[in-house]
Amino acid sequence: MSSPPIATFTLLEAAVAVPPAFLLTIAVAVSAAGLALLMQPKHRALRVGGTIIGLAGLAMLFVEVLKRATVTGEEAGLPPVFPVIFGFLALAGAVRMITHPRPVFAALYFVLVVVAIAGMFLLLGAEFMAFAMVIVYAGAILITYMFVLMLAQQSPVAGIGEPVYDRMPREALSAIAVGFVILATLSEAYFSPTAQRFRNDSLTGSIVSGTQQAWARLGEMPKLLLQTARMVKPDVATVVEFDSKSATVTAKMTNGSTERFTLDEKMIPDNGRQVGVELVSKFPAGLEIAGVVLLMALFGAVILARKQIELGEDERRALAGMRRFTVDGEAGGASGDSRADASLIASDNGGSAR
Amino acid sequence: MSHFTTILPTSFPAILPTTLAVTDAQTINAALLVSALLFTCGLIGFLTRRNMILMFLCTELMFQAAALAMIAFGRMHHDVSGQVFVIFILTIAAAEAALALGLVVLLYRRRETLDSEAWSELHESA
Repeated sequence: MSSPPIATFTLLEAAVAVPPAFLLTIAVAVSAAGLALLMQPKHRALRVGGTIIGLAGLAMLFVEVLKRATVTGEEAGLPPVFPVIFGFLALAGAVRMITHPRPVFAALYFVLVVVAIAGMFLLLGAEFMAFAMVIVYAGAILITYMFVLMLAQQSPVAGIGEPVYDRMPREALSAIAVGFVILATLSEAYFSPTAQRFRNDSLTGSIVSGTQQAWARLGEMPKLLLQTARMVKPDVATVVEFDSKSATVTAKMTNGSTERFTLDEKMIPDNGRQVGVELVSKFPAGLEIAGVVLLMALFGAVILARKQIELGEDERRALAGMRRFTVDGEAGGASGDSRADASLIASDNGGSAR
Repeated sequence: MSHFTTILPTSFPAILPTTLAVTDAQTINAALLVSALLFTCGLIGFLTRRNMILMFLCTELMFQAAALAMIAFGRMHHDVSGQVFVIFILTIAAAEAALALGLVVLLYRRRETLDSEAWSELHESA
């Protein structure tokens, strides 16, 4: 008798009061549905609806995630404007990049993503990497992609437009399903209450230790340390000792006396200096290996891009038989064959003859 | 305000109202969210795009997402190691772009198309 009302009540309750633990997953699902609609190249109305649904899902995600960042006791300010703007720019560029039918436009949207990410880097205090990212990605890597696109792209056919492989996505629904699972897992891992508490604790504790680490990095740079000490007291001769915990310098002055003084927080070395010191002092082996990787990539690209020589049946058989070719003998042979032989042997010598 | 430092440098508030300043925890959360979303976008793009060049461009998108996560986590610990890792990511991305594009040009010369479906059955070219 009493079971139907209870059942309807729990159903209603489940429909109205969504447990906060599922909010992120639901928001991810809404975004995924929007993306699925956006990947319908034939129906314009579906794409408009997909844009709206996707934006709604993204807004839900951002609101929920930013809400979880607030620590109790913190005064409520305006919503964080810049991370949200850069985030939406990056995501809009990324979605446009994976849905745009024209490859050149997709590459240009990737530039938008790179610039938005560089803005994010600035907000996170990584000035050097922000500018390096724009220069290397937008300036170098993307230009390489554009060159290859121009080189290899088939021109659009009149009346049909872009080639079909650029217009039609492949297995869009199953790909989005995979993306949904991964994103739901990732967001649950990043923004679960435990992870969030750990992150807030680490952030609270790391302000002090962050300053100390910056001072420790300054301690590894004797020349800059001397310069910084001279900003406080101009007649410092040598720095005897530097305590990175309290930022205290023990220095020998030009008149022979010894003085102790504290450095100001404004004198913490800037981001570029810190990254440089970290790179050469903590990861010297990585730096060397990066150089080797780049060199090998250069060799690989040169070898891949070398002109290929089509071998005829005769040449292949001769090659398998390990027989030496006669290069310019055999006057009776066809001239085309002997030219192929010559180029084959030339490629054996590393292409030096060409 | 002991929990948070405003992320803008000290010279900024002259230009921007201080109420626009963002807490560190919120910036890091937003960066992590954007990084996760970008990685998923790159993955979906890699699976759905049929143009070989754009497939590799989507891997660059995933590299970007990884770099953003590195820097966000570095910010969380106030450690610049995260930024150094991004330098290495940049190196790998550049090497990957050079090699992948060389391969794509090679494949394009063989089949005269960028469609990856053209290579779904690998055998010697006729």
